[in-house]
Formats: sequence, structure tokens, C-alpha cells
Amino acid sequence: MRRLAVAIGAVLLTAGLALSAGHRDYFKVGVITSLSGDLATGGNVTKRGYDLWAKTVNSQGGIEVHGKKYKVKLYYADAQSEPSQGASGAERLVTQEGVDFLLGPYSSGVTLAVAPVIEKYRVPMITGSAESPLIWRQKFRYTFGTIPPVNYTGATPINLLAGLNPAPRTAIILGSNDAFSKATAEAFKAASEEVGIRVLKYNIVPAGQDLIPLLSAAKVMRPDLIAFGGHDEELINLVKALRQINYTPKALLMHYGVTEPAFVEALGKDAEDVFGASVWTPTLHTRGTLLWKDAVTYARDAEAAYGVPADYTQAGCSAAGIAFQAALQKAGVTPPLDDGEREALLKALEELDIETFYGRIRFAREGEYYHANIGLDALTVQIQGGTPVIVGPAEFAEAPARYPMRPWNER
Amino acid sequence: MLQLLPQAIVDGLLIGGIYITVALGFSLAFGVMHIIDFAVGEWIMLGAFLGYYLTQWTGADALVFLPVVFVVFLGVGYAIQPIIHRAISGRRGNPVLMGLVFTFGLMLAIRGLGLTVFGFYSHSLSSILSAKSVFLEKGGLFLTVPVIRLTGFVYALVIMAALYWILKKTDFGLAVRALSQNREAAGLMGINARRISSWVYGIHVGVSAMTGVIIGCIFTISAQMGGDYTILAFFVVVLAGMGYLAGVPWAAFLLGLVQSFFLIFGNPSYTMLAVFVILYIILLISPKGLFAKGV
Amino acid sequence: MGRKTMVGVAGLGLAFAVLPLVSQDTFVLRVATEALMWIGLAISWDVLGGYTGYLNFGHGAFFGLGAYTTAILMMKAGWPFWASLPAGGLVAGLGAVVAGIPTLRLKGAYFAIATWAMSRAVQQLALVLEVTGGPDGMRLPPFLNPQFFFYLMLALVAVLFVTLWFLLERSSFGLKVKAIREDEEGAMALGLKPTVIKVQSFVLSATPAGILGGVYAYWITFIDPASVLGDLVTDQSVVMAVFGGLGTLVGPLIGAILVFAFKTVFWAYLADFQVLYLIILGVMIAGSVVFLPDGVVGLVFRTARGAKGAPPERPAEEPAGREAVG
Repeated sequence: MRRLAVAIGAVLLTAGLALSAGHRDYFKVGVITSLSGDLATGGNVTKRGYDLWAKTVNSQGGIEVHGKKYKVKLYYADAQSEPSQGASGAERLVTQEGVDFLLGPYSSGVTLAVAPVIEKYRVPMITGSAESPLIWRQKFRYTFGTIPPVNYTGATPINLLAGLNPAPRTAIILGSNDAFSKATAEAFKAASEEVGIRVLKYNIVPAGQDLIPLLSAAKVMRPDLIAFGGHDEELINLVKALRQINYTPKALLMHYGVTEPAFVEALGKDAEDVFGASVWTPTLHTRGTLLWKDAVTYARDAEAAYGVPADYTQAGCSAAGIAFQAALQKAGVTPPLDDGEREALLKALEELDIETFYGRIRFAREGEYYHANIGLDALTVQIQGGTPVIVGPAEFAEAPARYPMRPWNER
Repeated sequence: MLQLLPQAIVDGLLIGGIYITVALGFSLAFGVMHIIDFAVGEWIMLGAFLGYYLTQWTGADALVFLPVVFVVFLGVGYAIQPIIHRAISGRRGNPVLMGLVFTFGLMLAIRGLGLTVFGFYSHSLSSILSAKSVFLEKGGLFLTVPVIRLTGFVYALVIMAALYWILKKTDFGLAVRALSQNREAAGLMGINARRISSWVYGIHVGVSAMTGVIIGCIFTISAQMGGDYTILAFFVVVLAGMGYLAGVPWAAFLLGLVQSFFLIFGNPSYTMLAVFVILYIILLISPKGLFAKGV
Repeated sequence: MGRKTMVGVAGLGLAFAVLPLVSQDTFVLRVATEALMWIGLAISWDVLGGYTGYLNFGHGAFFGLGAYTTAILMMKAGWPFWASLPAGGLVAGLGAVVAGIPTLRLKGAYFAIATWAMSRAVQQLALVLEVTGGPDGMRLPPFLNPQFFFYLMLALVAVLFVTLWFLLERSSFGLKVKAIREDEEGAMALGLKPTVIKVQSFVLSATPAGILGGVYAYWITFIDPASVLGDLVTDQSVVMAVFGGLGTLVGPLIGAILVFAFKTVFWAYLADFQVLYLIILGVMIAGSVVFLPDGVVGLVFRTARGAKGAPPERPAEEPAGREAVG
């Protein structure tokens, strides 16, 4: 008798489970990023961005679709700074975890290995970080990026500098030999030649190379502008090197890296007057309808959550989440997403055009920036008083550019 | 272009000075204990971070703490050496490989600890010397000498002199040399191999840690920095001849000069390619190091 | 290798072979494919490392050479995969001959560092040349068929294993190689030609690595100098071989499976504790040297392999009981 009862109970339970299997009241979101290995620093920044979005959207009850709210649950895969592990992680998240959509990697290399996998499974992914132009040239249908590549932003600071008085006439442009840094240096070079700045020296150097001999020699030529594409440590080392040989160019330009907190923390007042490029700063005048109403609010939240000021990568990652949020609302799809619903999501992403705390998000539908966010404006920033301040273009400028750079010894 | 020749030479020698201190302790440790210490870069990292926290805490100049860092890590090395020794002695197939693999594991563990405790970010150590430079411009001559690098060079000379004095002029040094030449006979002579080895490893770790402080003043530090310096130590020491201390400065200067010459006169993109190819070719021509005096 | 071991390995091979029939899970297949790749890399490293006694710290360079050769032939010369793959192995093998003849004159640490310098030079070359795409790397046409790559990897590694078993455990070549390892000069006195044998061993070690690299390139669809010419392939092959047991074929096989399983499980399910990964791995590796001197194989089989088992008291060791007097 007891056995029969157990059997019936089992049948009912199974039936109940089977009925509910097609029913999930939260979105499963996969996150692929590099939590370990060489790229761990950047990878952890992206994780913070994605985490903050998930936390905030859940605190408001979740993503609202057709009047009902669905929370989000993040599932992580560590790419370990290796493209093959990124691909493996993507496969696991999609096939085993059954995630609805993906938030993407920190680096271009990992993204390039992950993209074909998600093309096969037709799962949309947005990356808040990968900045190399290579990705978008491949025209992956299911990969999007909230941050535009460096060849989109590189010309802006050069154009600003060309408009200053006295305009720089000569330049030395260097870049580390990795995809992002090289593309940055190329963008700087192309823009310089456009505006008539004479490029005295253009060199791509091995990553992490000590540049003192090169800079000591460059000092002889007294270039007005020194522009450098590189990653965090290399940027700090460059400034230290210029300090060590006591050469102050009229302008020193790098790219996104100057906005990272470590840059100012390590260099102190030596960081002052350094130019950089960005698409977002914590003080940018933006207007958002979802989650955060402007950049200041986001920055405050981020600082409260992590104790570190938010940088553009973190912001871009949180924005990636918001992009999905808006697209889901527009597509009107609810979890779990099936293939047809993912196609609707994809279509909504392609048609997306929203204002957020991060700026405007609008993905290109064709051309060399395919599926990258071309809604943003490239900004020129400068470190003033220990923080990056927007100095151009004119409509966004918060302060005039300090130019020429004050000599090291006079600070 | 000739006007830059002195600059290339000076820059190469100055960075070579740093390479010397990265490699010296490492070579000594190999010569005496026959351990290839894969963790050398991590000792540099730990010393750099100790220096960093001390300067943050007190606001004093980083270089002031060199003796402190040395003493602390002398102790650390002294204490750890017996563990390493116990791990790799006994009936093993290939003591060189075993020592290498053990210190490789040690390296991963220390790096993991470093990342846990210190986090992912890069930092910089500050010294008033970091900002000073000497500039000479005479006729066609153009020469800039960063003082902090000169300091690193002087530091290297001091360490070399100190080691020379210890090894040649003290009983301890005599014991060390005896031990590195013939361990068994040295034991017969009444030398306590264990204690000497502990001191030697302590010196190696202490010097490496101090070098970390200097490196932090010239460059940046991070929990992941160790790998590059370990490779550097390997290359310099093998080029010099394993265990042949006198060869270290020559190997270090050579590597420094190859880089500075390529950066100034050649195509900078090929700098590291040149370094590795030259290293490779020298080893092929002279299999036991530059002076064929390696172990 | 005893009978029981052979049966065990054959059983393992069979288990792998039926895996795709049992599990439709593409992730499981991907993990298994990668495990097979590492088995191949660890075993091939051991040919030169454990059997011949030459520690090659440039093993990854051959992997990368194969990967890039395959990629360049497919993308720039329009060759099909079936032709590009063997070409990759060929290039790696030739590289071993070219590099091996001068380099194998070096011993011990010098050989290790020379091979390391060589592999770094190859990486720099890939970073500066145009044909390799420089730091941007190369993309290959996506052919995402998990079963294809799984069976290809399985077939290659199985053939490798059997071939090496014949050559190293069942033929005179294996005896010659081990003779070189134990006493090179003595071997010369017996009339063996060490240089020839060492180079052959090097080629035997490098060619499989090159072929595996070619498969990797087509499988992952993206390669760059950091991922296929970095230190990871070498470091991991060495750790797997040492952990499993040098101088055997089963050792690196077991080592590869164990280390890779640990890595995969950790990163799939314990990613929250990421900071512990390096620490645990480091302790495991250091601990294995202390507690498993002959690797896992030594522990499992209890019989020390060959002459590694009971060497006479080595001069480098501490003379027992001779403490300081006064």
C-alpha cells in the first residue's frame, strides 16, 4: 500500500515538474570574462559592471516585460585570458546552463573565439569592453558591443589638440604590440597626418618594453606631442620614464587607460595634464530612463558598491545589461527564451536606440563598425586635479584644456 | 646618429645594473644548492609590495626601507630553504627538474596569495630620486641620465662588492665556495651544509626583495609582475654561466645594451626578437655560458 | 608497460570512442576533445623530457608552428584542412631538426633555457611578421562540428600513443633513447650516435605537437601569438608529465587527465573562489614533488621505472649524518 502511494506521488511529482519545465520566472544570463590570467584586472572590472547591473535591476524587481517583472541570474564562465577557454565557457553556458543571452568578454582575442560559437547557437551577446576593430570587421551577427572601437575615437583628441594654440607641429607616436594598442597608435598616426602634424617617429614596440632609450633619443627631437597606445602598466611606465629623463612635451596623449583609477593613484601629480580619450566619464551629462538617470547617479552607486570609482569599461558593461533590458522589453519576450524569441531579441537589439546613463546606445547595422555602438560621442579628457575632465568636443567640455603641459618640476 | 651613441651605452648599462641584481642571488642559489629558483620573480614582487605598503603607511621615501626589506626577506629565505631542500633531496629521478617543478609550484602559490592579498591593480613606489635627472649637452653630445636608474646601478655595484667581500674575505664565504665546489668534501671539512645553504638562500631572497623596491621606483609593481623577472633572471644567469657569479654583470650588460641599441638605432619592434635570438646563438656557440665557466 | 596497464588504456580509449554516442552534450565533447589534446601534448613532451632526459621548454613553439602553418596555408594559400594539417606537423618536425642539431649539444638547464629563448623568439617573430597577422592573430573559417574534432583528436592521440608505445617500449629505439638519458658518454662508447638519436627524439616530440596545434587552430577558429605561442602550452605539458610520471606513456596520460579535470571542474563550478585556483594548483604541484616523486604512476604502480628507481647516493645530496663539528 505504501509503495503504491510513493509511486503515485512520484508520478505526480514528475508530471508537475514536466509541466513546469517550460516555465521559468527569471532570465538566465551568461557572463564570459577573464577572471584569471593576464587579463584578470580588466576582466574583474567587467564583472563588476555586469554584477552592478544585475543587482540594480533585481532590486527594482527585475526586467519588466508585458507588465510582469523577471529577475536576472548571472552564470559565470572564466575565460582565463585564453580564447579556447572562452569558447569552452560559451559552449557550457549555452548548452548546459541554457542561458537566455550572454554578456561578453573583456578582450578581443577571447571575443573572437567566442563569437563563432554563439553564431552557431544563435545566442545574442553584448560585450561592454572589447575594443579592437577586428571584431566588428568580421560582421558577427550575434555579437554586439556597447563600446566603440579605437578607430572610432582615436581621431578626436588629435583634432582637439590641433585646434589649440600653439598647435603641436611634430609628434612621436608609439604603440605596444598588441591588437588594441597597435590600433590606437594607428588611429593617432592617421589623424595626425590628416591635420598636418609631422610624425617624426612611429614605432610599435614589444609589450612591456622599457622605453627609456627610445625616449632619451626622442628627447633630442623635442616633439610637441607624444602619443602612446598601451595598457595600464605601460602607460604609467611611460609617464615615469618621461619624468626620469625630465622631458615635458607640449602634450602627452594616451587613450582610455588614463581614466583608470590606478593611473592617477600611481602617478600622483605626475598624471596631471595628460590627455586621453574616452566615451564616458562619471560627470558626463547623460540622461537615462532605465535604472540610472545619469552618469553621476551611476558613479555614486558604483563607488558605494565597490569602493572604487567607476571607469568607462565598467560603465559600458552595465550599459550592456541595460541594452538587453530595453531590447527584451521591446521584443516582449519572457524566459526561457527559445530560438524564435532570441531572433526577436536580436532584431530588437539591431533596432535599439535608447538613451542611458552611459550615453546613447545605437548599434551600427553595416560598415566597419557593424554592431558596435555608434551612438556615443568620442570625448577628449584630461587629468585635472586628479580626475579625468572632459575638455572636448566643445559641447561636452567641462573645462578648458590645460596646454601646454606644465613641466614636471614646476608642479 | 653618432651623437646618441653615449646615450645608448649609458641606458644599456643602467638597465643592465637592474638585471644584475635580479640575477645575482639566483645564480648564487644555484651554485650552492643547485636549485633553479622559479620563484625568484615572486620574491621581487613581495619585496616591492612590502616597500610599497611601508611607504604608504609612513609616507617616507621608498629607498629608506631597503635595509628593512632585506632583513625581513633574509629571514623568510632562511626559514623556507630547509623546506625546499627537504622537498627535493632524497631518491629522485632528476633533481634539477624536481627543484624546478617544486619552485614552480611555489611560484604559483605565492602569486596566487599575492593576487588575493594585494589585488589586481598596479602601483608605483615613490622616491625623491625618481624625479631627478642629469642632463649633459656639450657640442654634439646629448646625454640624459635618470638619477633613479643611476641609483639602481650603484645599488648593483654595492651588492656585487658586498657579495665579493663576503665570498672572498670571510669564513662564511669560504664555506659557501667550498660547498658550491664539492658538497661532500665540504661536509667532511666540518661545514654545516644545511645552515650555510639556509643563509645563502636567505641572501638570495633578501637581495631579490630589495631589487623589487628599486624596480618599483623605476617601473610599476603588481601581483603578476614576477613572471617577467623570473625569465630575465634565467636568461642572464644561463648566459653568464650557471653558478658563475663573475659572469653575471657581463651577461646583464649585454642584454641591456642589445635592447638600448635596438631601441635607438634599430627597429624597435624587433628589440625582443633580437634579444632572444642573440641569447640563443650565444648559447649555441658557447654552451656553458659566455665564458664557458658554467656548472 | 604491463598487461593490466595496456588493458586499462585500451579500455579508456574505448570509453572515449563511445562517448559521443552516449552523450549528446556538446560541452562534454568539447571538454573531452581538449583533454585528448593535452594528453597528446604531455605525452609528446615526455618523449624528449622523460625518455631522453632533455627538458624542452619550447614545446609550445612547435604547437604554435603547427597552428600558424595550418592557418596560413588555409587562409592565405587556400589549401584545404586535410593538406594544411600534415604540413603543420611537417613544419614543426623540420623546425625540430633545424633547432635540434645545434641545441641538443647543450645539457640540462642550458638546453632548457635555450629552447625557452628559441620559443620566445618564435613568438616575437609571429608578433612582427605580416603574414601571421602580427598581434591581431588569424581567424580561420568556422567549422563548428564537435563530433568531427573529437574523433579527429581521438584518432590522432590514439595513433600517437600506439606509435610511441611501439617505438619507445617495444623497439630498440626506446632502448637507445633511454641509454642516452642514463649515460650519454657510455652510450657513445657502445657505438650509438647520440646526436642522431636525440634529434630523432626531438622530431618525434615536436611533430605531434605541431599537428595538435593545427587541429587547435581549425577547432577554435582563432589563434594569436599570445594563445598559441605563449608559455602556457609548455608549462602545462611539463606539469602534466611530471605530475603523472616521467619516462612513461601512461604517466603523462594520467597527469593530463587529472590536471585538466581539476582545471575544468574548478573553472566551471568554483569560479567564485577564483583567487584560490593558483594557490591550490601551486600547492598541488609543489606537493607532488614531495609526495609523488615518480608521479602518480609511481604511486599507483609502486614499481619505480627503469633506473630512476634506486640510484646510488648522489654526490649532490647531503652526506647522511655529517653535521657540523664545532
